Amino acid sequence: MRAKRLVAAATAAVLAAGIVAIATPATAAVNICQAKNVKEAGGLDNLIKLAKKEGKLALITTPRDWANYGAAFDAYEKAFGVKITVDNPDGSSQYEIDTMKTAPKSKQPDSIDIGPLVVAQLTPPGSKPLSSPYQVINWNDIPNAAKDSTGLWYGNYGGKLAIVYNTTLPSVPTKAADFTKPEYKGFVGITGDPTSSNQAFMSVLAASIGNGGEKNLSDVTKGLALFKAVKAQAPLVKVNGTNLATGTAKLGFMWDFNALGIIPAAKAAGLDLKFAYPTDYVLQAPPYINAINIKSPNCANARLWQEFVYSQNKGKTAADLTDADLKLSGSKLFALMQGGQNYFQQSGADPIMSAAMTKKKILVPSLLDFKVPSTAKVVGPATIADVLTAREQIISSWASL
Amino acid sequence: MTSQVIEGGAPSRGRAFLTSFIKNILPAVPLLLIVGFFFLFPIARLIYVSFLSNDNTFTIDNFKTAVQEPYRTGFINSIKIGLFSAAIAAFPGALAAYFIDTRGSSKLRRTIAVMSGVLANTGGVPLAFMFYAALGIQGYLTKFLKYLGWDLYSGTFSLGSFIGLLIVYLYFQLPLMVIVFSPAIVSLRREWSEAARNLGANQVNYWIRIGIPLLFPSFIASFLLLFASGFSAYATANALTVGNLPLTPLQIGGLLDGNVSAAQLNLGKALGVVMIVISACAVIPYLAIQRRSAKWQKR
Amino acid sequence: MAKALRAKFQPPLVITLLILGLFVFLPMMSAFEYSIRTPLTGGYGWTHYIWAVTEDDFFHYILRSMWLAGVTVLITLFVLVPTLTWLHLSNSKVRGLIDGLSLLPLVIPVVAFAVGAQISFPEFVQNTVLELPFLYFVLALPYAYRSLDIGLNSIPLKTITEAARSAGANWWRTITAVIVPVIRGSVMATIALTFALSLGEYTLTVLLHWDTFPTWVTNVAQDNILGAIAISMMSLIIPFLILTVITLFVPERSTQGRK
Repeated sequence: MRAKRLVAAATAAVLAAGIVAIATPATAAVNICQAKNVKEAGGLDNLIKLAKKEGKLALITTPRDWANYGAAFDAYEKAFGVKITVDNPDGSSQYEIDTMKTAPKSKQPDSIDIGPLVVAQLTPPGSKPLSSPYQVINWNDIPNAAKDSTGLWYGNYGGKLAIVYNTTLPSVPTKAADFTKPEYKGFVGITGDPTSSNQAFMSVLAASIGNGGEKNLSDVTKGLALFKAVKAQAPLVKVNGTNLATGTAKLGFMWDFNALGIIPAAKAAGLDLKFAYPTDYVLQAPPYINAINIKSPNCANARLWQEFVYSQNKGKTAADLTDADLKLSGSKLFALMQGGQNYFQQSGADPIMSAAMTKKKILVPSLLDFKVPSTAKVVGPATIADVLTAREQIISSWASL
Repeated sequence: MTSQVIEGGAPSRGRAFLTSFIKNILPAVPLLLIVGFFFLFPIARLIYVSFLSNDNTFTIDNFKTAVQEPYRTGFINSIKIGLFSAAIAAFPGALAAYFIDTRGSSKLRRTIAVMSGVLANTGGVPLAFMFYAALGIQGYLTKFLKYLGWDLYSGTFSLGSFIGLLIVYLYFQLPLMVIVFSPAIVSLRREWSEAARNLGANQVNYWIRIGIPLLFPSFIASFLLLFASGFSAYATANALTVGNLPLTPLQIGGLLDGNVSAAQLNLGKALGVVMIVISACAVIPYLAIQRRSAKWQKR
Repeated sequence: MAKALRAKFQPPLVITLLILGLFVFLPMMSAFEYSIRTPLTGGYGWTHYIWAVTEDDFFHYILRSMWLAGVTVLITLFVLVPTLTWLHLSNSKVRGLIDGLSLLPLVIPVVAFAVGAQISFPEFVQNTVLELPFLYFVLALPYAYRSLDIGLNSIPLKTITEAARSAGANWWRTITAVIVPVIRGSVMATIALTFALSLGEYTLTVLLHWDTFPTWVTNVAQDNILGAIAISMMSLIIPFLILTVITLFVPERSTQGRK
């Protein structure tokens, strides 16, 4: 008799537990670090809630003056109360990969922004990929050629290479071949090491197409030859914000989308810089690539950041967000904000979703004030295979140029 | 009876070892532990990994590559920069140390010691800024020299060239020389120069027979230390050049930052080990010389 | 004779100091002139310095680095002073070994050391910022050790130690109240060296992914070069001035004691 009552009680308990489990909303069981899209994260509202709780976003090698990232950071931080930290803003794409491989957990980035130069290293054959798969809400608006089908990486924004020069130069440079002009001696350079920095690598490629190598994007020997000729006159200088602003560097290739960051910084130091596309061949480079680090310490923010960066809205920037806006629920606030893609567009970069956004008529105007001259031919983009082949050429000869 | 004595012998030998250990080593244990863990351990691992191939098998391929181009040029340039920067700092530094330590007041000497300590550690980006501001294209001093008629930048000069680096390195090599050479000067006791004078020697004789021979080993030792310092300087060279002037510390940094063909992951470590060997060739003689000099320098 | 000697003494010293002063201060003054330029409004002004100290992160980073430097100095003094005192007094057999060991960090280029640290330290060590003072201690060791060694060499160590001990002082009091004041100059120089090194250490810090004052200055420079130069100036001149002032005002080796 007592046994029967016990069995009845146990069954009732199990049933009750089952009903409770079914009735509890799915969000309680969300494993945010495994979420592959916003649905698995429990919806946008839940994702924002989790991100606010985490309060931190760890990025790597993305300077504020790069492609208008500064404005994007300000908006994200203000809207969600998250503190964004950037490890080594001056670093290269290769540095990002190496950090993901070797840094201790507390130093791992959440999301990376790498060049095609190193994207192959995200999926080393025979081992686990370095990134976690994730597909943003607007996943279908990213062209297939620019993303990994399972969501391990996805193109973000691309640019063209322009010539940056100091207006105190005795003559205005118009194309890559001008770099060897004697009156520029000692002031010509490159933004970094082309074996590890994507921008520097593309500079060599841009030099190559401007020096007769425009037919074959996997062969940069003509570009190496140009830099070798420059080096024969005087050592190459490092072309970065600091050197441009101190007048140490006066001429080089740089992404067009960095113009809006670099020019004011130099102006504040008393120097006048100008950007112009080469008049013969302009390199359209393959896009920079985003991915979520598999060792990401702030999983919710890693995903929310992607959603933000790939959001297409025409909306409010940090300065326009009012206190009332900030009190809105997550997804409503999100809908009010200017999307990441439009921040890139403003800097002059080509957001990866520009085709879809142009169709929807939500693309804001670019703030760049220089255009590709009618005489120039836009070459590219190079494929990843081209990039890897060319990289080998540079690795074997750059140091002994 | 005899057996008791023999048994008594064994434990007291052990106790003797223990007391010997406590007396001779124990107080140094904290220092040894810190240096052991935070220094010897990483270096040992570095050496170990430099002998590993990508598949974690033993190989000396990393070293084979390390002594070929372009790393060979890197080593030669680094050694040159070490030697030259030491050479141009050694003699002026020694002279400065001499005048300050023999003619200066105690307050002056201590102030200089402290200032030298701070200056010897300037480097990297702040030092690069100072020199850009002074000798850069827009530099204050450059403009002044142009006004006087000398255009620094009419040739191939730049702060990132070999000569440019030498000038910048001087800024921390000189104070370093003052720091490491001063003890030798201070130990040159005035009694000796007075004794020499009493025996009839004049200033020149004193210097030729006593002063210089006594100071010479310390001078060489200090030179060697300066060499090691210039040879391994990284942050300053990194701030001024862009991988165009092959220098080994920069190449190691570059290898950390740029995967070489994925073919030799441990090449950077091998380069580091070769640097250690070269530096050791400078520092070991330094030690030997200092040991000898310590005898006459000690009170 | 004495007067003639004294007259001879001045010129070479003065000339030396002038030349040294020129060499040391010209770059500093140039950078200072640069940092007070205000190209946007023309002329000169303190804009960049004001900007620097009102930047949110300025105090955060400089305090962080100063704190790290302070810890390094403490480690250095607490470990080296007792150890060296003991080495001098006991004439232990390991003295030669430790002398040599203290020089080893000079032999290892910082880059190589950073690589070694990256690949060897366990996670829990790499996760705490406290690994930095110990690493800075190792970097400063050759100079700090030498400096204290020389200081101890130049005093009658055995005599004063025996005097203190026989007066009833224990080892702690002997070291802190008797020995350290006597080698005051060496200790000051050691503190200056160690503090300056830790405050300015960049390579090791960056390669281990830490964020301190020098790394922050480099990042800031991207956007505001004149501001960054202003900050650099402050980071150079402030420790300089503080340490120099302390040295000038610390009294001469007073052996009269507290009575």
